[in-house]
Amino acid sequence: MANGLARALLRILQLWRLYGAMDVIWIARDAKTFITWYITDIVVNGAAVTATLLLAERFSGIGPWAKSQVLFLLGYAVLASGLLDPFCNYNVKYVSRRLGRGQLDHTLIQPQPIWMALLTEGFSPLSGTAALLPGLVLLVWATHALHLSVTPAWIAALLLNLLASAIIILAFSYLWGSLAFWAPRSAEEISSSALRTLDQLKSFPLDGLGLGLLGGLLTVLPVGFVAWYPCRALLGIEQSAYQLFTTPIAAAIISAAAILAFRGGLKQYARTGSQRYLSFGHRR
Amino acid sequence: MATMLAPLRRYTKTAAMAATSYVGDSPLFLADYLLRLVRVLVLLSIWRTILTGRGTVSGMTLGAVLTYTLIGEAFAEQLSVRTELGNALWEGSVATRFLQPMSMVGQFASDMIGRWCFGLCAFSLPLLLLSRLLDVSPQPASPAAGGWFILSLILGTSVGLALEFIFASLAVALEQPIWFIDYVRRAVTTLLSGALVPFALLPEGIGVVFTWLPFASTASAPLRIYTGTGDAVRLLLVQVGWSILLWALARWLWQVSREKLVGFGG
Repeated sequence: MANGLARALLRILQLWRLYGAMDVIWIARDAKTFITWYITDIVVNGAAVTATLLLAERFSGIGPWAKSQVLFLLGYAVLASGLLDPFCNYNVKYVSRRLGRGQLDHTLIQPQPIWMALLTEGFSPLSGTAALLPGLVLLVWATHALHLSVTPAWIAALLLNLLASAIIILAFSYLWGSLAFWAPRSAEEISSSALRTLDQLKSFPLDGLGLGLLGGLLTVLPVGFVAWYPCRALLGIEQSAYQLFTTPIAAAIISAAAILAFRGGLKQYARTGSQRYLSFGHRR
Repeated sequence: MATMLAPLRRYTKTAAMAATSYVGDSPLFLADYLLRLVRVLVLLSIWRTILTGRGTVSGMTLGAVLTYTLIGEAFAEQLSVRTELGNALWEGSVATRFLQPMSMVGQFASDMIGRWCFGLCAFSLPLLLLSRLLDVSPQPASPAAGGWFILSLILGTSVGLALEFIFASLAVALEQPIWFIDYVRRAVTTLLSGALVPFALLPEGIGVVFTWLPFASTASAPLRIYTGTGDAVRLLLVQVGWSILLWALARWLWQVSREKLVGFGG
């Protein structure tokens, strides 16, 4: 058992080294490409939260959230999404594209299990890190402005919640994206739609919402767990300490649902295959 | 008469094919509309949280902001023009488009309008009918504002189409993947077009600068006219100006990039 685990870990590291090297070669092939892609990524990730930032500036906060608290929320939101980029590039995050285009066959012929292929194929340690920088800057800036007491326990809680939020984003994409097993054409871009909705709403404090809508945003469309809820816990807006564990628990539940959906989709795929596969990797 | 109508028939047929293409596979496209509905519900709630009790902010009441958001979502496809041009370049199918006996702009525009027809029936109309339940007035500030809005929407579409061809030409000229250009464009224009947040609610100075950018002519201008929070004549004139300027630029860029299109795509 331990031997098998060690072998799997070693294989993952080997593949990460391989895909990491390819990513560096691709992005750093010339200065123009590197600067264009990297700066653009920073601008795009900054733009995603600029509207909320400007609103917070204009109204000295949003609802019960002070300006610095909104800043923290934005930093957290950018970082949670950005954490996925170095590991889930090349449409691993947008899984419905791979399924809809018939590209799962490319993964199935790899000499490793699907989970390992998906865990490693999107590894991009250089090109995928652009979102981390603005997220970190915002988070550190806000932490300083809020005079938060940064203890090892708080940092551990922050990291645990960030990881949980990132997992929720990925699981949500897979949950919706699995529909592409059944409807490859019309659901090809469903992961993008789902992630775009999370992206557009993640940067807003959701306090003023009605209970029904809020319940939906913490279950069916878990945008509340991307930043708002964990930030409430980390900033002490939510008083009870167990709230720090709500997002990780939600991550476990949503991941389980996503795994079930994906496995169901794989069974369907085993029966029907893909009608959209073309040998050069594009769709019909 | 029949000879005169023949070219028009080509475009209407293209639009009809695009409109019916939605239901060709499965009803999953409805999930996209569901996500849009949730987005507008959240945005409406957020505006209520921020603006309740503040009275008029930079000439906008809470009611006007809610109408702005509702109409912005109902006409989202018209206020953020997207055609199949990007996909055609990406897939390489643009080559066959050149062979069709129709103008390039006309082909993509009629395809786009066909898709709009479906979206207007399946999402925009139900959303407008739901507006009373959401406690939002869907009506324009005045009948005149409603009339100017239609004209402004047409001009905004013209600016949006020109931008579509400019960005596509840039992707070709700069030899960058079309999805990369689209990724940047989508991120930047959401803020700069005023579709998400009315410029009046941004910090003073920033909103004023954004008003003069071409992206504002695609969404902010029609929505401000609809809600009666902008000078209609001035906004329309700015839209006309951008439309003329951008179409000249789009035409030139398309011409100089055209030769490079041959080797582009999958």
